[in-house]
Amino acid sequence: MQVLVYTIFFATLTWLMMTVQNRRRVVAVTLAGVMVVTLVGAPPSAQAQIGILGAIQAVLNVINGVIQTALTGINTVRTAVNNLQQLVVWPQQLINQARAQITQMIGHYRNLMRNIFKINLNSTTLPAPQALEAIIRDHQVGNFQALTAMFANNYGAIPVVTSASAGDRAISDMDDALALDNLKTLKAADQATDIELQSADAIENSSSQAAPGSAPFLTATAITSAIHAQALTQKLLAAELRQEAARIAHRNTLRKENASNTTQLRGVLLNLLQHQ
Amino acid sequence: MTEWTAGHKLRSVVLVLVLMFTGPWPARAQFVSPCCALLVAGLSSIQSALTKVVGGGLNQILGVDKAMQQFQQAVVWPQNLINQARGIVAALQGNFNQIQNLMKIPINSATLPVSQQLEQILLSHNPNQIAQTSGAYTALYGPIPQTTAAAPQVLNIVDMTDAAAQAAMKRAIEIDALADLELQAANQLNQSIQAAAPGSAPIMEAEADAWLIRANAYTQAATADLIRLRSVDLANASADIKMGAANTTNLRQALANLLQHQ
Repeated sequence: MQVLVYTIFFATLTWLMMTVQNRRRVVAVTLAGVMVVTLVGAPPSAQAQIGILGAIQAVLNVINGVIQTALTGINTVRTAVNNLQQLVVWPQQLINQARAQITQMIGHYRNLMRNIFKINLNSTTLPAPQALEAIIRDHQVGNFQALTAMFANNYGAIPVVTSASAGDRAISDMDDALALDNLKTLKAADQATDIELQSADAIENSSSQAAPGSAPFLTATAITSAIHAQALTQKLLAAELRQEAARIAHRNTLRKENASNTTQLRGVLLNLLQHQ
Repeated sequence: MTEWTAGHKLRSVVLVLVLMFTGPWPARAQFVSPCCALLVAGLSSIQSALTKVVGGGLNQILGVDKAMQQFQQAVVWPQNLINQARGIVAALQGNFNQIQNLMKIPINSATLPVSQQLEQILLSHNPNQIAQTSGAYTALYGPIPQTTAAAPQVLNIVDMTDAAAQAAMKRAIEIDALADLELQAANQLNQSIQAAAPGSAPIMEAEADAWLIRANAYTQAATADLIRLRSVDLANASADIKMGAANTTNLRQALANLLQHQ
């Protein structure tokens, strides 16, 4: 736009220079024309330079003000978080100390407890009880038939049909069965206890080398082991419940028989007295 | 035009000079311009500020972040130790399977039909068979005597004792079934733990904790039933002493009466 206006004015000046005849008029036209085209052609340079400098200063102000403050703030926070993690939450020294303590506890307790648990409890003196005692404490589950045979060697067989009433034979069979059931359950439970102890050792060994981030795996699996242990305890309690129930049921049957026998005896005595 | 220029050299020169000095010529190379020099100086300041303030600040943050990353990878969540822990979880699964198999070994030992039937129900681990317990129990241990066959106190004791024994047997079936489910759930949890991330393992741990509390509650229930059973047994022993004393007194009185009549 500026160039177009300048061209028009310069063309007018040229036309005037070509057409004016008087020398004084030429000088006048030249001076006036120079003034006009200078005004038209001069760019607003001074105004533009002041705007650029202001903009640059504004950018510098933003960088040195807002951005620097923000970056300093972020850096302060990140440094604080880093310090919190390394000094308070997961201090390397305490992690190493915890690992060392586990290793120390393994060394102090494991063999001590293992040796206590391995003390031989067998106390029988005669061959048949010795065999039975050995088999009920061997932690094996593949010799139940031998267990049944040795149990019979010690406690005898169920009376034959002609030697006892059906009720007595059945109750005797049930007592023996529950005793044997529980002895078998205990052999299995003994083996399961050994496996639980192995699990505890494995978890403890891993704990002595664990990191804060791997420990939750060990904690979680330790709890599932504890659930297994609880289930095993419940099965032993169920066995004890069966056994105790059978025991008082047996006594109760004797009470029923006593009541029946007493009633019969009373009847007999009354009859006897009446006949006298 | 050429003729006019030739005839008016001075005017032509003036026009050329006016054009040269007043024309809006396009800007030439900026570095020669004083305003461009200011612009260059300003941009240099911006560059310097960006380098020192922004770049320096970001580098400090990067340094802290790298330290955090290195610390977390090496100390908090080292991949090799996480894999090692997962390996232990997998190894323990083998132990759990062994325990579960041990608890499934058949232990039935009864030899006569009546006792075999009760034993089969007691060892069934099946709550649906609880309803059949009373029938099998009565078949083996006998019914409560007729009301004319024993004193009311004896009948009460016999009934109470049978009930306690049957309840304990039923509870044993329940507990066996619950323990089986606990073993099943524990195995399922352990398999999930193997596949968990360090951040999700505590969630599985919380679930396992809940199961452990539940298992403790069932253990307590079984223990309570065992104590109940022993309480009834103790009460029976006491009742035997009481009835024995009463019977002795009655017998003494009867004998005294008999002697007086003779």
